[in-house]
Amino acid sequence: MGLGKFLIKRTIQGVIVIWGVVTITFFLRFLTPGDPVSALTPPDAGPEVRERMAENLGLNDPIHIQYADYITDLLMLDLGTSMRTGRSASIMILARLPATLELALAATIISMIIAIPLGVISARRRHQKSDYAATMFSLLGISTPNFWLGIMLIILVAVVVGPIPTGGRDVSFWEATVMLFLEANPRGFGNWAIHIFLPAITLGTYFTALLTRLTRSGMLEELGKTYVEATRAKGLPETLVLYKHVLRNTLIPIITVLGLQLGTLIGGAVITEEVFSWPGIGSFLIQQIAYRDWVLIQGILIVIGVGFVVINIIVDAMYAKLNPKVVTE
Amino acid sequence: MISKRLKQSLRSELRTSLMAKIGLVLILLILIVAMFAPFLAPHHPTETRVSDDPEVDKTDLPPIGMGYETSETRLVDGEMQTVETTIEPDHSFILGTNTLGQDILSRLMYGARVSVLVGVLGALLATAIGVPYGLTAGYFGDRIDDSLMRGADMMLAFPSLVLAIALVGVFRDTDFHTQQIPDPFVLAARHDTLGSFVPRGEHVAAMPASITFPVTVTLVVALVNWVWFARVARGEAMAIRQEEYVKAAKSVGASNATIIRQHVLPNSLTPVIVLATIQVAAIILLESALSYLGFSETTLTWGYDIQQGQSAAATYWWIAFMPGMAIVIAVISINLLGDWLRDALDPSIEGEGGV
Amino acid sequence: MSNVTDILRIDGLKTRFFTDNGQVNAVEDLDVRIEDGEVFGIVGESGSGKSVMALSIIDLIERPGRITDGEIWFRAPDIADELVETDAVDGDYVDLRAMSPEQRGLLRGSRFSMIFQDPMSSFNPSITVGEQIAEAVEAQRRARSNPRSLDAKSQHYGLTDYLLGGVLSSKRYVSEPSLDRAIELLELVGIPDPAERAEEYPHEYSGGMLQRAMIAQALAGEPDVLIADEPTTALDVTIQAQVLDLLAELQTETGMTILLITHNLGVVARMCDRVGVMYAGEIVERGTLGDVFDNPVHPYTQGLLGSIPDLQGVAERLQPIEGNVPSLLDHEMPDRCYFADRCPKAMEECLEHPPELAVNDRGQHATRCYLAETEYTAAKALPTDYFGATEAPAEADTAPEEPTATDGGDHQ
Repeated sequence: MGLGKFLIKRTIQGVIVIWGVVTITFFLRFLTPGDPVSALTPPDAGPEVRERMAENLGLNDPIHIQYADYITDLLMLDLGTSMRTGRSASIMILARLPATLELALAATIISMIIAIPLGVISARRRHQKSDYAATMFSLLGISTPNFWLGIMLIILVAVVVGPIPTGGRDVSFWEATVMLFLEANPRGFGNWAIHIFLPAITLGTYFTALLTRLTRSGMLEELGKTYVEATRAKGLPETLVLYKHVLRNTLIPIITVLGLQLGTLIGGAVITEEVFSWPGIGSFLIQQIAYRDWVLIQGILIVIGVGFVVINIIVDAMYAKLNPKVVTE
Repeated sequence: MISKRLKQSLRSELRTSLMAKIGLVLILLILIVAMFAPFLAPHHPTETRVSDDPEVDKTDLPPIGMGYETSETRLVDGEMQTVETTIEPDHSFILGTNTLGQDILSRLMYGARVSVLVGVLGALLATAIGVPYGLTAGYFGDRIDDSLMRGADMMLAFPSLVLAIALVGVFRDTDFHTQQIPDPFVLAARHDTLGSFVPRGEHVAAMPASITFPVTVTLVVALVNWVWFARVARGEAMAIRQEEYVKAAKSVGASNATIIRQHVLPNSLTPVIVLATIQVAAIILLESALSYLGFSETTLTWGYDIQQGQSAAATYWWIAFMPGMAIVIAVISINLLGDWLRDALDPSIEGEGGV
Repeated sequence: MSNVTDILRIDGLKTRFFTDNGQVNAVEDLDVRIEDGEVFGIVGESGSGKSVMALSIIDLIERPGRITDGEIWFRAPDIADELVETDAVDGDYVDLRAMSPEQRGLLRGSRFSMIFQDPMSSFNPSITVGEQIAEAVEAQRRARSNPRSLDAKSQHYGLTDYLLGGVLSSKRYVSEPSLDRAIELLELVGIPDPAERAEEYPHEYSGGMLQRAMIAQALAGEPDVLIADEPTTALDVTIQAQVLDLLAELQTETGMTILLITHNLGVVARMCDRVGVMYAGEIVERGTLGDVFDNPVHPYTQGLLGSIPDLQGVAERLQPIEGNVPSLLDHEMPDRCYFADRCPKAMEECLEHPPELAVNDRGQHATRCYLAETEYTAAKALPTDYFGATEAPAEADTAPEEPTATDGGDHQ
């Protein structure tokens, strides 16, 4: 099976899952008590007004027609109209998305930079002090609720560093980049970095701990294999033995685990955004739950679900690329 | 189900691993505290002590050993003065008090009850849903497997916290349940007029007569986490159905239900047990996140206390710090227990961990 | 002494593993001399320390193992010049044990290289065979391009270089000429369509082909000594002969020394000039092929030879040696001849550990057995149940597997 064929198969599976995600969220509407008509009409509106509104919203159609309309709208990237504000849900969610992506990416990158070397060192110095320290760190990291960690970091920074911003987001990464290149003004970047630093650390801690654990145990397993001895025997520098051979083979199975664990990262982003008032879709979701704006809630769920599926397809593609057996067998 | 060899490997793993010992001791400690909270808690967990009278007011007291100096500007003898005051801890409030003057330690002890109940019942419920689902998929394979597991994948597409928030949002407006569970010790103490059967009878009798158990939250955490059990059970069932004894049972005409019950289920329990242990930790974290966000209808939980302490955290750090430590300790000890079981039983298990 | 020079002199080598169950003496006081350009065979049962000895020479013993004692003198005049006036030099010889780990690392591939038992697990499954062989070529190319061959710094290739290599092709470790050389090497070992096969992954090769590729990789640095650890054990019988022929051919062409480790006496008889028999971490008998095979002195050697079916002669019964491989746990190793408990000719002398004794005056044939000097007499024989009740069962129970992580040799 070629890489292309593998990806096509995987994408078809992904589309089925996305269809399921969409269907689940469609039926969520019927579980909820909130009535879109009351939400969108003035409280003193007469029954004719309400009836017209229901007609406009398509609520009087049979359910399969409503479902078909819903899917058609989604295919045109229309997530509906916010029940509370009457604005386009797609645009509202899209406006919030970059903040979450920035946060998740920053957390992932910080995690990888810390966790992979830590796991390698820990495995290389097994049963030495640095190994125990790394193991303790990863145990703590996977056991700490990140909203609490965020609060504690805020206190700690306030006491140790002094007043730096511990909430919100002034400029986006995109704006900061524009400032840097068009106006040669690095301040926007500094502002972006200082705001994202604590949330990214908070969100990244669980992931860092998990990745350290996985890297360590994977490296230990891999280091016991004969090819490592054979690779050393041919005189390859130890750095290459460790990183090109052992670490690479360690990461191949870890990648798929991490793909699944991305759910944890997104879930973590929701609560981290809440702690740091980060204007992403996570804190947006919590707001909308409070407002009971079910159109927006559905929209956010779809965006998160679809995003998760797409990321996992990408992860599988990486796995297939790194592991020759998947493609050739 | 638990063979002699298994017991042996559990024991030898426990002997060699310090971490396993620590985990086990901590878990027992937490269970004892949760169970006997009315006896052990020094104060009523929800009794407030707010007053204008500084003698009665017990708000924001620091933990023992954490007394501190502060200066405040206030009216003294008709003019504004900056007064240095020392805030001394009160020895009957070991971990200090919160903004309402409630004893933090007592609240932690009662909070342990909710965490333990939701964690254990949630994990059991998730097992009860996930294991039969996964066994069916894995045992029958092919189309049944495909369609069942594709359904499970759809659940996985939603991060557990996101799904939990959405479900709580749905249930909150329709039928959100909490259940008052009467505390047998307190009831016994209250009916025990002589105070001779229950130790510290008077103290216990003054404690809350029941605790609030968040039924909906427990259902929700089970609903978002059963998929992991389904995945593990499916993997086991797929391996076991290839075994000779399963083929033999089939050849003598045993029904599929019988084979699953008698052969597949018992042989797939080990990894399920390990997963269930780890899931208790994951569910405790999930529950604390929900209570932190205010999506649990109970207020005597660790997550809620953290949320309460957050706004004052810059000055009265302990109010948010203490319940967080309680969560960390509980989750660490369960994870240690899980590591111990996994090392002793050694299956390969995946599972979504924390929040 | 003959006019041939030794390339390797090992004196009193001790390699130990410090495990949870106690100290394992995998190689115990081993002395051996290997001549330049010969094929030296090491024979022994599983767990006799053959593979550990090989790994000790190439310095690949990993924790919890450690070489605790002994000297490994290697003939290398150029290195001796560089290290002159240190303890590590004696004439043309350098003591590998006295060199720094970095210096020894540079000998891997260029002076010593190794072929492992199972080619399938000895190649990295996720990198193409060509690339892996090219790595071996490149390692030697870089070592050689540097005038001071023992200066580890200038051929340093660090993590930054590796990470940059992902982006810049000029920073990649393996260069184009090395890849070309890898293809030449594959052709040399008789792999058809080498250019295409170089692009393939190990799992796309057959076992025999992959072992050829492993040999190609071992030849990349034109080593002085090739250690072949059970090179044919994992292969089909028909393929075994082809691989052995290839080794013999390459040895004649390049004149390299081969240290052939095997438990297969047929392989030894076919390939080796001289042979050493290992038992419980020491060489119990050594000599030319003729000495050892035609005139074995040590009862263990006799037993080994007795245990191969003799196809030419009368259908003799295969005679396995009674008893188990001895425990190598330090506290269980007796201060006597290690073989005495299984030896059919154990005598009172054998309760004392025998030194290495010359069998004849030619100086090649030697054995750690008193029978080299004394005749076996039934009068001094130990009673048959002498070791019986107390030791044998205990040993059977506790005889540890040789630590498998370091022993690619005998475990199947």
